[in-house]
Amino acid sequence: MSDHAHSHGDHDLPFWKKYVFSVDHKVIGVQYALTALVFLFFGFSLMMIMRWQLAYPGRPIPLIGAMLSGTLAADGVLVGDGYNILGAMHGTIMVFLGIVPLAVGGFGNFVLPLQIGAPDMAFPRLNMASYWVFFVGGVIMIGSMFTKTSGAGSGWTMYPPLAVTAAYGETIWLVGMVFLITSSLLGSVNFIVTTIQLRARGLSFFRLPFFVWAQLVTAFLLLLAFPPLEAAAALQLMDRVVGTSFFMPEGLVLSTVHLSHLSGGGNPVLWQHLFWFLAHPEVYVLILPGMGIIAEVIANNTRKPLWGYKSLVYSVIFLGFMSFIVWAHHMFMTGMGTTLSTFFQATTMIISVPSVIILTCLIISLYGAAIRFTVPMLFALAFLPMFAIGGLTGLPLGLTASDIQLHDTYYVIGHFHYVVAPGTIFAMFAGIYYWFPKATGRKMSDWLGKLHFWPSFIFINAVFMPMFFQGMAGVLRRQYDQTEQLAGAASHGLTLMSSWGAWLLALAQIPFIVNFFWSIWKGQRVSDNPWHATTLEWAAPSPPPHGNFPAVPVVYSGPYEYSVPGVSEDFCPQNVALEA
Amino acid sequence: MEPHPITGMYNGKFGIWLFLASEVMLFGALFSTYILLRVGAPEGTWPQHGADILNVPLAAFNTVVLIGSSVTMVMAWAYLKMKRIGMGQLFLAATFLLAGTFLVVKYFEYTEKFHHYAVFLNARMAVEGYEGQVTTISGHLAADSPALTRASNTGAYQAPEFVILEPDPPKGGGDHPPVVRIDGAQIKRLSDFGPRHSTFLATYFTMTGLHGLHIVGGMIVIGYFLATGSRFASHNLDKYANRIECTGLYWHFVDLVWIFLFPVLYLL
Amino acid sequence: MPPDLHYGRWSPPDFSLHGHNIDQLIDVVHVFMLALFIPWGLFFLYCLLKYRQKPGQSAQYNPVKAKISKYAEIGVAVVEVFLLVGLSMPVWAQYKNDPPAEDERYTVRVIAQQFQWNAHYAGADGVFGKTDASLITELNPIGLMEEQDPHAADDIVTINDIHLPVGRPIYMRLTSLDVIHSFFIPTMRVKQDVIPGMEVPIWFEIDAWALSDDIRGNMTAATPIEKASWYKLRHHIFAEDVVTGDGEVMAAAGDHLGESYKAGTERIAELREAGVKELVMQPRHPLQVVCAQLCGNSHFKMAAQLITHDEAGFAAWQAAQKQAVEFEDF
Repeated sequence: MSDHAHSHGDHDLPFWKKYVFSVDHKVIGVQYALTALVFLFFGFSLMMIMRWQLAYPGRPIPLIGAMLSGTLAADGVLVGDGYNILGAMHGTIMVFLGIVPLAVGGFGNFVLPLQIGAPDMAFPRLNMASYWVFFVGGVIMIGSMFTKTSGAGSGWTMYPPLAVTAAYGETIWLVGMVFLITSSLLGSVNFIVTTIQLRARGLSFFRLPFFVWAQLVTAFLLLLAFPPLEAAAALQLMDRVVGTSFFMPEGLVLSTVHLSHLSGGGNPVLWQHLFWFLAHPEVYVLILPGMGIIAEVIANNTRKPLWGYKSLVYSVIFLGFMSFIVWAHHMFMTGMGTTLSTFFQATTMIISVPSVIILTCLIISLYGAAIRFTVPMLFALAFLPMFAIGGLTGLPLGLTASDIQLHDTYYVIGHFHYVVAPGTIFAMFAGIYYWFPKATGRKMSDWLGKLHFWPSFIFINAVFMPMFFQGMAGVLRRQYDQTEQLAGAASHGLTLMSSWGAWLLALAQIPFIVNFFWSIWKGQRVSDNPWHATTLEWAAPSPPPHGNFPAVPVVYSGPYEYSVPGVSEDFCPQNVALEA
Repeated sequence: MEPHPITGMYNGKFGIWLFLASEVMLFGALFSTYILLRVGAPEGTWPQHGADILNVPLAAFNTVVLIGSSVTMVMAWAYLKMKRIGMGQLFLAATFLLAGTFLVVKYFEYTEKFHHYAVFLNARMAVEGYEGQVTTISGHLAADSPALTRASNTGAYQAPEFVILEPDPPKGGGDHPPVVRIDGAQIKRLSDFGPRHSTFLATYFTMTGLHGLHIVGGMIVIGYFLATGSRFASHNLDKYANRIECTGLYWHFVDLVWIFLFPVLYLL
Repeated sequence: MPPDLHYGRWSPPDFSLHGHNIDQLIDVVHVFMLALFIPWGLFFLYCLLKYRQKPGQSAQYNPVKAKISKYAEIGVAVVEVFLLVGLSMPVWAQYKNDPPAEDERYTVRVIAQQFQWNAHYAGADGVFGKTDASLITELNPIGLMEEQDPHAADDIVTINDIHLPVGRPIYMRLTSLDVIHSFFIPTMRVKQDVIPGMEVPIWFEIDAWALSDDIRGNMTAATPIEKASWYKLRHHIFAEDVVTGDGEVMAAAGDHLGESYKAGTERIAELREAGVKELVMQPRHPLQVVCAQLCGNSHFKMAAQLITHDEAGFAAWQAAQKQAVEFEDF
């Protein structure tokens, strides 16, 4: 099926073709994962700096305050523009340079062809191109923070006219986004064609692991939702660089200066529509691969099939479809009338149904199980209540009347961080601990894993739980100094709790970093299938060679044939025919 | 490259169709932008018809050229499927030339706009040759009009001391009004007919510009196949024909976008 | 007047007529959220405890055939429909579709800019004077045509200082001069994005008893000196004179702690050393209008004080304003 002739041994390739400009999906997957983890760490560091200013407004940042440049800080104290720049870059980096490349580029690339029994992706060279375009985009984005104009400071949402008139790195941000979007588009074409056309014999759609379904739906979201943002980025670039007025209405007066050189006639809300048309499906892109990973880890560590596999599949497809028609729930406060807001409220309520179904199926999968509390399973189990909190707190935001009070407050920050931080990021950790043996042939240390998990779980809740209470109290987001506002001043204790939680959470990642690198060289060597799992990737050697499978696998059963009655082993790999 | 039993397509073809789906979303977003901006435009800022400002004959010619290039593209693929490599490459070259023609015509269209100016006045003024009072006068700069400079921070033209304009004929038709001199103090804004002029022209340049970039992209791919095609075709003709088929699908899409762009921008 | 009003604990106090509907919806939704989370959570913990892997015991291949989850899902959907149709849509419809009658309402214009809230009052003639963007200066932030338009002569323009009458529908016309801001009064359950190029009206009514002077009094609270932090009390003033045991007056009523962290912390230390046991303070401006949409580097400081008057007080305030712009330091 694949264009790629894999009969030549890859030991013939020079180092730079084998590890740098490789067309092998596993190498590309690792490249995406490592790059994304570095970007994630950088984005997290930006927030840790901001949390000092939040906890101790106006006071110099210890240790690194002096190193921050003139745009960001003065005398070691973060300034208003600096806070906004760090904030906008934090959001951008975490979403576009961290989570999506790790969840889709990293895990998707590495695991998906293996799980469908394919020798590689459908378009290996396109895959390599996707990674390098992403890399360039990432360098541009992060590089912007080290230029004279510094990074973008108008929120990751870049609302005009602020983003058009801002004097900072918004232009470079837009250029970087074009690269990142292009990378995503190329990647999503690859994922869809691979999943549909390269499945092994016997692997029908309803025998696919849920991880594959999740990645497939995610790929469709990326394919169809990103282009409007690419268009919008082009339009905003035109406004900033050429001086057009796509988003600039007539009569703008900036600090008593009338912007009479502009034609006017533009509409700031147009940007919001185009942006959120992508950005809402984007948040499902952030969560779906994570749900896929959690499903795999739960099935494996409960030693039984997932409950409601068909419901899971139909729900994830329906969720993907619905995600395209809820976007304006981010715009309820822009002055929209009752007709439009009713439509979007209704679709938002409807979309919560498949999410609830997916979560419920995963929880019910624990019933009648034989649960192994391995490190990946700890993260997977923690995901469930954390995602529940994140998802449920979306309800008061999705209803317009309650959104009046909660929109743009810390309640929103709490809501989405619960879904992405103890939600998706925990799923990422689960995936790393789970598939590390497949990629390296070695296991990560269990006790370091637990030392990573427990403090992370506790501190991540310490960071984000207070935010719901602050949001209810009316504390607004994107505030350089929360104490300027009465509610922010009164709830300053909660801000301190979040900040200290964040710094302790950072320390809790040290066992993970140590564990990860140490285990690559010194980890305990394990067999090809140390978790006794059923899905196809475990039938390949660890690490799989170029071309993945020594013999083309044939699939005989569903993905989660654990504890099959009448079979002595408690698992039946998909590529092994069941007796009788 | 065998077609897959479920989709009936080989990998590359399926991939190109998916890519085209995303392109539909891209241009769809821009068409939606056009609609939203036009519907919300303040009175008088959007031309009644695109033809008032744009050069319809040139664009109509371009439409024929592009449709022609789609025809030659199909012919190229058909000849390759019939194993007639020479004819296939010939029609590929014809496609390339027609695409180039489109771009050259576009170049003339664009430069015409950049030498055409609009003066937006501070107050309504009576101007000889126009009915009633006007707030805008468009035309070409006379030879003795002072050179224009751009502000360094915004890039927009700065209002000069005065402007000597050869005005355009009035809307209903008629002669060119006599040359008029406009004082700097009367000028609210001076702009060429580039993207800065109005949201209509901003939309026009962005949409046709992005479309033009797609033509350039297509030409690069076609050019690559023109250069390397004979060798590739003699090595594996089936695969080569498939590559050309995929390129053709992309090319037809680019043509289709123009078939929507032309009436929407120029005729409506 | 509810006694003992506080910021920072669950919802802020509510002084509007429609606010309780929003609060009710928020409360009901949270009850629903808990009604889902607690059973999920309990079932989850039950499974973790009961179904740990034990030697000799395997998992069940197909343990659950119950239809209960389908009914539960339908139940969830039904509750969501109720929340949407029964609670949210009516409140939102009234908020958006039913402006108060013209003869009953008090109309005021609010024009946002980086980084202040300008309020424009029509004055005695009830007609708003015209504005022109080319007349905008720092002293005339909305470009009021004071010379050209006779209706503008009695108009009042204030900066960061919004005065409103209680017990009467308020009709507020919102717009922005430069970027998107968001007009938010937490204590009135009112929020509206303010977008340049658009004028969006909002309406609400303030409780008849909610006079800002009275509210200030009811927000008086005593903070033990060990727990006092300048960050928490920076917007507060002393409710009464602070007198030590020896009769020394350390601070007068109406004084505040200081303009900076350093000054404020030193003051608190000074008071503690003098033997003061607790600080009895109240917010200087108990009602705040804040900007809820990122608008630049001073977005966090973009706040106006809201002062509510009864009819007589409001008329007196208007009469006392001169034509020129009043600049009130917030």
